[in-house]
Amino acid sequence: MIEIEVFPHRYLKAKTTERFLNEIYSLSTVDRVIIHGQPLPKTVYYGPARGTPVNHSERKIIDVHGVPVELTVMAGRFWITLKDDSEMDKIEEVCKSLFHYGYNIKVGKFTRDKSTVTDYIKYGEMLVNMMDRTLIGLTDPRSKYESSVKIIPKDSKKEHAESFSGHI
Amino acid sequence: MAYEPQYYPGKTKIAQNRRNHMNPNVELEKLREIPDDDIVKIMGQRQPGEDYKTVHPPLEEMDLPEDYVRDLVEPISGAKEGHRIRYIQFADSMYNAPAQPYDRARTYMWRFRGVDTGTLSGRQVIEMRESNLEEIAKNFCIDTAFYDPAVCGIRGATVHGHSLRLDENGLMFDALQRYVYDEKTGHVLYVKDQVGKPLDEPVDVGEPLSPEKLVEITTIYRKDNIPMREDTELIKVVKRIHRARTLGGYMPTEDTFKDL
Repeated sequence: MIEIEVFPHRYLKAKTTERFLNEIYSLSTVDRVIIHGQPLPKTVYYGPARGTPVNHSERKIIDVHGVPVELTVMAGRFWITLKDDSEMDKIEEVCKSLFHYGYNIKVGKFTRDKSTVTDYIKYGEMLVNMMDRTLIGLTDPRSKYESSVKIIPKDSKKEHAESFSGHI
Repeated sequence: MAYEPQYYPGKTKIAQNRRNHMNPNVELEKLREIPDDDIVKIMGQRQPGEDYKTVHPPLEEMDLPEDYVRDLVEPISGAKEGHRIRYIQFADSMYNAPAQPYDRARTYMWRFRGVDTGTLSGRQVIEMRESNLEEIAKNFCIDTAFYDPAVCGIRGATVHGHSLRLDENGLMFDALQRYVYDEKTGHVLYVKDQVGKPLDEPVDVGEPLSPEKLVEITTIYRKDNIPMREDTELIKVVKRIHRARTLGGYMPTEDTFKDL
């Protein structure tokens, strides 16, 4: 298991994010992708226009291998968990074709893979010990599972997880 | 001998651009012509064509106590009429925006009277009598090379975005999407006013400047353009101020200030 960070030099439109995710999920070594970016609010949350709908054109539902995914952030970086590094060249090619303004790819450790004390307090020992290990570190501690994690089914009956992580 | 203001130290192009902004005798290049009414719409504080609201009667009609300062200082036209005070706020991207908050503050103070300005890390607010503010916003802040539709944003609230990467169209990130890039015309259109209320019709603020032009007119020192460390004169002045404030603050003796 290795983790890589794909860092395009621009914030991505929903269309580009959709293409990137579709191409990445076609690779056999990709296990999960965490999308990190700027949150796009549904309504104006501050100031005289508070409560007015924002209708941001990039906050929309995209299609990833047939699964509708609601993008709630403007994607700025991707943390991708890979089984091994055999398809790094293909990832590089995908990036080259989509991010003509430049990008960085870094191999490292970007998410936690162990349960924390908070997890044990929040969910209980039994639940933490039983849970799917690939879900650890997938989302922000305060985000809700239903709205932030999507499971993309794979041909080989294995599943891909995808999550959103917003950052202000 | 009469004092001649030097405005800003430094020998680089960036320093020169800062001096050009601050020097009231330099006329900045006029790049666009946005109609008055459109500016009023973006500011969102008055309907176009509506009379200015007032907070006090015209100064001439008021019975004010005698004050020699009042005789010395000529009021600006909006103050004479009693117009209310309104604001406009700009956010400037660190990707070579023509102006940035500190430069804006100094420029406003050098160039205009009756202005109250507030500087924050990513935004800069100007408060002024409404009629004068609209005039400045149009003739100086938006129509000239002081502004770029892509990397400067007119944002009253929720300004987040100045320190982020640009989006794919080269626009500064805006969570409220007050302006959009029209891919057909290549122009930037304001679809909301500065606080995020939708406009009836989009306001065209023109084409974004090319990256080469922005590099020429920017007032931001950047490692991929002209880094601050290249400007030896500026570094000298900054160090001098630092020394005077820190060492001088602790030990204000003759020796501390000797070599400054």
